Amino acid sequence: MEQKFTGFKCKSCGRVMYPKHDRCLSCKGREFEEVGLGKEAKLVTYTKLYAIPEGIEMPPLILGIVEFSGGVRAMGQLTTDDPKTGMKLRPVWGKLRKMKDREIFGFKFEPVNKGLKGKSVNEVGG
Amino acid sequence: MRDVAIIGCGMTKFGRSQGDLMDLLAEASLRAIDHAGADESDFDSVYVGNMMAGELVHQTAIASSLVDRINLVPAAAERVENGPASGASAVKNGFLAVASGAADLVLVAGGEKMTEADTDVITDLVSTMTHPTVEYVHGVTLPAMAAMLTRLYMERYGLSERHLAMIAVKNHANGMKNPYAHIQRLCTVEGAMSSGVIADPIRLYYACPISDGAAAVVLCSMEKAKEFTDKPVRIVGFGHATDVQTLQEREDPAVLKSVQIASQQAFRMAKLEPKDIDVVETHDAFEILEIVQSEDAGFFEKGKGHLAVEKGVTALDGELPINPSGGLKARGHPVGATGVAQIVELVWQLRGEAGERQVKDPKRAFACNFGGFGNNTVIHILERAW
Repeated sequence: MEQKFTGFKCKSCGRVMYPKHDRCLSCKGREFEEVGLGKEAKLVTYTKLYAIPEGIEMPPLILGIVEFSGGVRAMGQLTTDDPKTGMKLRPVWGKLRKMKDREIFGFKFEPVNKGLKGKSVNEVGG
Repeated sequence: MRDVAIIGCGMTKFGRSQGDLMDLLAEASLRAIDHAGADESDFDSVYVGNMMAGELVHQTAIASSLVDRINLVPAAAERVENGPASGASAVKNGFLAVASGAADLVLVAGGEKMTEADTDVITDLVSTMTHPTVEYVHGVTLPAMAAMLTRLYMERYGLSERHLAMIAVKNHANGMKNPYAHIQRLCTVEGAMSSGVIADPIRLYYACPISDGAAAVVLCSMEKAKEFTDKPVRIVGFGHATDVQTLQEREDPAVLKSVQIASQQAFRMAKLEPKDIDVVETHDAFEILEIVQSEDAGFFEKGKGHLAVEKGVTALDGELPINPSGGLKARGHPVGATGVAQIVELVWQLRGEAGERQVKDPKRAFACNFGGFGNNTVIHILERAW
C-alpha cells in the first residue's frame, strides 16, 4: 500500500511542521495544507529499547528520529536492527503495535538499501 | 510583590513505603509544620504537587483529603499537576500566593505512591506525557527519549558512557549520606557499566528508581518569618517555561530550551548569575539530564558538562556540588514529590542542616524540576536570609 508521509504547511508563512499544530509555530497562522515530506530521510539519533511497552512483540524496539531533506523531523520505529546515525531511511506503512487488542498502524522507517541487509555490497554485487 | 520565605521543611524517607499516599503526605506536612514551629498557626492555603493519584491509587481531590487529615481546614486547598514537575509547580503557586499578598501562611506538599504498581504500568503512565499520535503510539517511552538524547551527546560532544557511570557513582555516594534516600548503596563505575541495558545506550544505573515518598515546605512573607525562625530561606527567583512537546521538533533536540529560558528568568528575577550559585539540585531522572540541565542552566559551557563530573567539580566538596541529596538517581523519584524534595534538600543545605552531606557554607541554591521530557521546566533560586 503506497502512502505518503505528510507534514503540514502553513498557508500564511510556508513553514512545514510535523506533527500538526492548531496554530503555526512561526506565525500563528491557522490554515494548513498537507504536503509530502519526501521519500528519504536521514537518521539523526536512535535507541534500541529493551524495556518495551505493551503490544510490542519482541525486544528490542528500535526507535529513531529522522530528518527529511526540508529539515522536518519525525520519530518512529526503525525496521533495521543495525541502525547507524546518518543512514538513509524511507517511510513505510505498517503495524506499529497492539494496544488493548487493537492494532495500530503508522509509518516506520526502513533503510533505503534494504535489499542489502545482512550482506555486504560485495556479496550482492559479486 | 512581597519577599517570600521558607520557614520549615520536611520529608518522608523515599523508597518502598508501607503507608499509602495520604500517610506520606500527612507525615511530610507535619514534619514541615513542626520544623517551622507553626503547629499552632492557621494556614491560608495548601498546594499539593501530585501527578498520578487518580491513576495509581484511585484517589482524587487529594488536597481536600490532606487538609482533613492534618486539620488545616478551612484553608484553601488544591492539587497541582504538572507531570514530574508537579512539586516545583506547587512551590511556585505557594510562592505566588504569598508574594501577591493573597495568603500569609502556606503549606506546599508533594507526594506520590508508585511502588505498588507494576513497572510496566508506571512506564506506560509516564509515557502518556509524550505526544499521543506521533510519539506515544509508536512505543516511545521516557527512557527511549533519554537514550536518543544521550546518543546525540555522545556523537556531538564526545560524552562517553563512563561519564554517565561517574554521575551515578557520585549520586549513589551522596545518597549514602542521606537518610531519606531511596537507594543507600555505593556503586562503582564498572558496576554501573555492566548493569542491564534498558534503552541503548542507557543502562539501569543511568536511570532513577521508582519510589514512594512525600516532601513539604512552609512558606510565609519575609516579614512574618521572624516570628517563626531566625534562619529563613528566601525564594529570590523562579522561572517556568515550556518548549514544543516532541523531541524531534525542537530547534535542536540536544538543547533543553525550556531549561535555558526558565533559568534565565529565574536569574534575572534574582539579579544573580550562575557563578553566584553554591549548590544545585537537578532533575536527573536519567544521568544525561544532570549534564544537559547543568549546561543549559548556564553553569557549564554547552557540550562540556560531562567534564565537570570527571574533574570532581560537581562532587560534594567540589566548586559546584550537584545533587548532594543523591538526586533522583539515589534519593528516588516519587514524581509529584521530587520538586518539593529538591527544595527541602536545598533549604537544609542553606541552613547547615544537611548532616554528613553538608556542602561547605552555601549561600545560594538552584533547583531544576522537569515536567515532561524537557518541554516544561520549573526553576527556583533560594538564598540564605540571615
